Amino acid sequence: MLTTFLLLPLAGVLMIAFLPRTREHEAKWIALFVSALACALSLAIFVRFDRDAAGYQFVDRFEWIRAADAGFSVQYIVGVDGLSAPLVLLLGVLSLAAVLVSFNVTFRAREYFAWLLVLETAVAGVFTSLDLIQFFLFWELELLPMYLLISVWGSGRREYSAMKFLLYTISGSALMLVGFLVLGLAAGTFDIEQLTAQPPSDTLLPLQAVFWFVIAAFLVKLPIVPLHTWLPDAHTDAPTAVSVMLAGVLLKMGGYGILRIALPVLPEQAHDARVLLAALAAISVFYGAVLTLRQRDLKRLIAYSSVSHMGYVLLGVAAMGSVALSGAALQMVTHGLITGLLFIMVGLIYDRAHTREIAELSGLMHQMPLIGAATVVAGLAALGLPGLAGFVAEITVFLGALEAHPAATILAVFGVVLAAGYVLWAVQRVFMGARNERWSALPDFDAWWERAAVAGMLVLVLVVGVYPRVLSDVVAQGVAPLAAMLAGPAA
Amino acid sequence: MGMEQVVLLPAIPAAIFVVLALFSPLLPRRGDWLAVVGMAVVVVLALAVAFHFQDFFGHGEFDPSGENARAFEWLNLSNGLFQIDLSTYVDAITVVMLLVVSIVALMVMIYSVGYMRGEARYGWYFGALSFFTASMLLLVTAGNLMVLYFAWEAVGLASFLLIGFYWERRSAAEAAKKAFITTRIGDVGLLIGIILLWREAGTFDIQQIIEFAEGGGFDQRYLTVAMLFLFMGAVGKSAQFPLHVWLPDAMEGPTPVSALIHAATMVVAGVYLVARMLPVFDVVLVARDVVLYTGLITAFMAATMGLVASDIKRVLAYSTVSQLGFMFVALGLGSPTAAMFHLFTHAFFKALLFLGSGSVIHATHQQEIEQLGGLWRKQPLTTWTFVIGSLALAGVIPLAGFWSKDEILHAANHNLPVFVTLAVTAGLTAIYTTRLVLLTFFGEPRNHHAYEHAHESPPIMTLPLLVLAALAAVAGFVIYEGVGQALGFAGGIGQLIFAHEPEVFHFDRDLATFALAVSLGGIGIGLVYWWGTAERATRARGWAPELHALLVNRYYFDDLYQSLINYVVLGAGSVIAVFDKRVVNETGVDGGAQTVGWFGLRLKFLQTGRIPNYALAMAGGIVTLSLVAFYTS
Repeated sequence: MLTTFLLLPLAGVLMIAFLPRTREHEAKWIALFVSALACALSLAIFVRFDRDAAGYQFVDRFEWIRAADAGFSVQYIVGVDGLSAPLVLLLGVLSLAAVLVSFNVTFRAREYFAWLLVLETAVAGVFTSLDLIQFFLFWELELLPMYLLISVWGSGRREYSAMKFLLYTISGSALMLVGFLVLGLAAGTFDIEQLTAQPPSDTLLPLQAVFWFVIAAFLVKLPIVPLHTWLPDAHTDAPTAVSVMLAGVLLKMGGYGILRIALPVLPEQAHDARVLLAALAAISVFYGAVLTLRQRDLKRLIAYSSVSHMGYVLLGVAAMGSVALSGAALQMVTHGLITGLLFIMVGLIYDRAHTREIAELSGLMHQMPLIGAATVVAGLAALGLPGLAGFVAEITVFLGALEAHPAATILAVFGVVLAAGYVLWAVQRVFMGARNERWSALPDFDAWWERAAVAGMLVLVLVVGVYPRVLSDVVAQGVAPLAAMLAGPAA
Repeated sequence: MGMEQVVLLPAIPAAIFVVLALFSPLLPRRGDWLAVVGMAVVVVLALAVAFHFQDFFGHGEFDPSGENARAFEWLNLSNGLFQIDLSTYVDAITVVMLLVVSIVALMVMIYSVGYMRGEARYGWYFGALSFFTASMLLLVTAGNLMVLYFAWEAVGLASFLLIGFYWERRSAAEAAKKAFITTRIGDVGLLIGIILLWREAGTFDIQQIIEFAEGGGFDQRYLTVAMLFLFMGAVGKSAQFPLHVWLPDAMEGPTPVSALIHAATMVVAGVYLVARMLPVFDVVLVARDVVLYTGLITAFMAATMGLVASDIKRVLAYSTVSQLGFMFVALGLGSPTAAMFHLFTHAFFKALLFLGSGSVIHATHQQEIEQLGGLWRKQPLTTWTFVIGSLALAGVIPLAGFWSKDEILHAANHNLPVFVTLAVTAGLTAIYTTRLVLLTFFGEPRNHHAYEHAHESPPIMTLPLLVLAALAAVAGFVIYEGVGQALGFAGGIGQLIFAHEPEVFHFDRDLATFALAVSLGGIGIGLVYWWGTAERATRARGWAPELHALLVNRYYFDDLYQSLINYVVLGAGSVIAVFDKRVVNETGVDGGAQTVGWFGLRLKFLQTGRIPNYALAMAGGIVTLSLVAFYTS
């Protein structure tokens, strides 16, 4: 099932490849069809996931590189647990939404949609791989479509931004690869499950160094201050759909990597690093939020708010208790939904007004009451209003992290005041105020695909906010073994 | 109606909100009748809860604990170590709140049918009002702090939406934002307080936390900190010093909204919260003293600002802040009876005053009291109901405010500084109330255009005025045992709401005479000062210009906060932005890239493409490595 999920977008790429140039505009329909199927499949995986059984489910495996005489082998293994199943669903949903909001792309449409689908496969591979080498390959595969999508279909300083994104990630992943090789060669396997069960001890490099090598790549991806400056640039210059994918799922690769690899394989080293991680988290939350207040461009505003919000993920990670870890896992999903939605809304505004400068926009509620209402709801979710998705994750992180890091947590809680500040400030400037003649011709939602993408995301934000157990019960299954493992070194 | 079904109370307006938000344009009259009828049903149900409560309560057993009905598990992580149940809880405090909220909400909705007629977004208005009522009813029936927080934020959202109802107007949009962010500072404190209590008590259930605290489960200093954080939430929501700045601006919302949300119900949520948690405050008296003095400062300060405000709604807003201060003083003195009693009476007369001011604004399109005057000839019903409300606020016997203010003074009897401050504030209250009434309704009209335009409001607006005037006149009598028993309860409000022992009401003649003298004295001063012609209205300004400027500028708190935001928060933002751009990005990131690039540029000249050069380098390398190997082995 997971292998099908991985291959499905590639099948779409193949179909698009055989599409004659004269029928280029049909690429979007192929992409829609394929991503809708993938979304349905991801939903099926999520629903059929057994919340009471322990361990990985839907596992497929075969041996890929056998080098037994050299003391290792590389396998193809995919599987999901409570940590990855929600992310797989998130990926399915956001990929579909990304295809939908790209329906007005006409420039080199075949390649555009093909790369979008490759991106889906790559991220799916990251979220499902249970072998370090395989994980690494998918991690690197994601760079190619991202680089091209930003540098070809982007705007502004798109080549600078794309290159910056590439160099940042590659620097991180070089360290990660060293760490993986050290771990795998010492243990004689790259199988994450086996590595987790028996963490290697006799390694080439000190384990503390290995831990920082591995987590560096994830911290770049998350991103954590001061490794964040690629994010606003990449977001600002990327096309809407790519921003949605970037904020919605690509950042989650960082958090997921920490929960899947850095913590379980090196629990003692993680435990030693927890104070430093908490400090980095609190700094990110505050630094990001204060910077967000200064942004004048809607997309940069949301990009910086992501830096702040992903700090909550790291705070949950740094606390290392089961509640806090659940909060971190929940925050990844809810932030993906909310920020994905916000980027869609900004994209819709930009498509109409051709500007994202907050100072130039005003009174848009007159012309676009529905877009305005949806943006307000998304904004309220981002500032952590109860009843919407963001609150569930944030409160769980706060409750879980207080015991371990009281100062960092209380600081982080005050971050939500700043969140209220920048969200409401932007909403007020852009949507409220007197009718502005300059914008009088702008339409509200005018295409079915815009409505479909926004409505679907809104429903999810509401469902998770009102009844979080649809999500939290799955997450709890994935967090339980991790928390038990981390409680070990603490005791 | 059993206590288990109490969850229906918020559910009904919540359902109406959903219907109105989605389908209001399709409904006849945009669905206003749905909201009104739904609210009427809620009033009936609230009365049913009160009577059921009295059945279970009235057998001579004065058990202040209510009924706890468990609903369902909302979140469960870590196998029950961390779980949030949605549960409801009903006791005497809840019953009082249910009655206040539902009755005032019904009156306001009926009134709004007339007041908001012809407005754009008429249906949305009723939807938002229903959403507010649902959230408020959930807040007062919450059995656990997480649900309470949930509802707490929801009423904040409703307030934001309704203050910003006229979002085309920049001032309204600013006021909505200001209200939300200011109260959010308090909300964060509340959240931290809740988390701190949960961490030690291991539960969000209010009654279990109280038991845990009374059993000495908390460390004293820890609990003090937790309760002070919790109190921050009350300070924000109830617009107490120093977070009081949002409430006067909140008057940008439609006037019926001010009556319901920013006078009678939402702003008393803070009082409700402290009353609900008072047994815990009793464990840490330092925290209770903070409540007392916060209330005292606020009561006095707001009353002085009310003296000089010139907008009819702002005068009432300052008055609300001041009266909320009175309630906190009562709580700080350990008397939930007095606080909840004043909350009860205040809700009726203050809602009446706001709706009355709405009637004036509706008729004249004017809210500056210096532009009004003489309206009693044009609006007799509005005038006389407003006078009743004002006398109740000033504390004239036998109107409702007299009894409840008397209870608070009684509670302060043994604390001279507090008592004196309260008495002075009560005098100020009488003065500004008299000023408001005289300038608005009596004397000669100062703006003839507005005066000619004026007319009495339609019956759908005056009916709620009459009902509320009647309640403002008689609501105080529930203090008497006989009245309580006649209604079917075990006794007066003192038998219903208490912390440790039922409070028995004694009519203290000396105290009552003193309080009445203060009120009448204040009214007398007001009459002497403002009775008569137009030019008197502005005389206060000449009397003490510096003091007047201080009060008109609200003690410069708004300016102080604005500069804090401008210079500290945004200033920090600028500094960090520059740091981020210059140091982190350009030096660290681009600089790193450029360094690599520079080396690349230099080193490329080594690639000459000539075999001899490479051979030489190779030979050099081999020699060097050999030497290294030779000497280290």
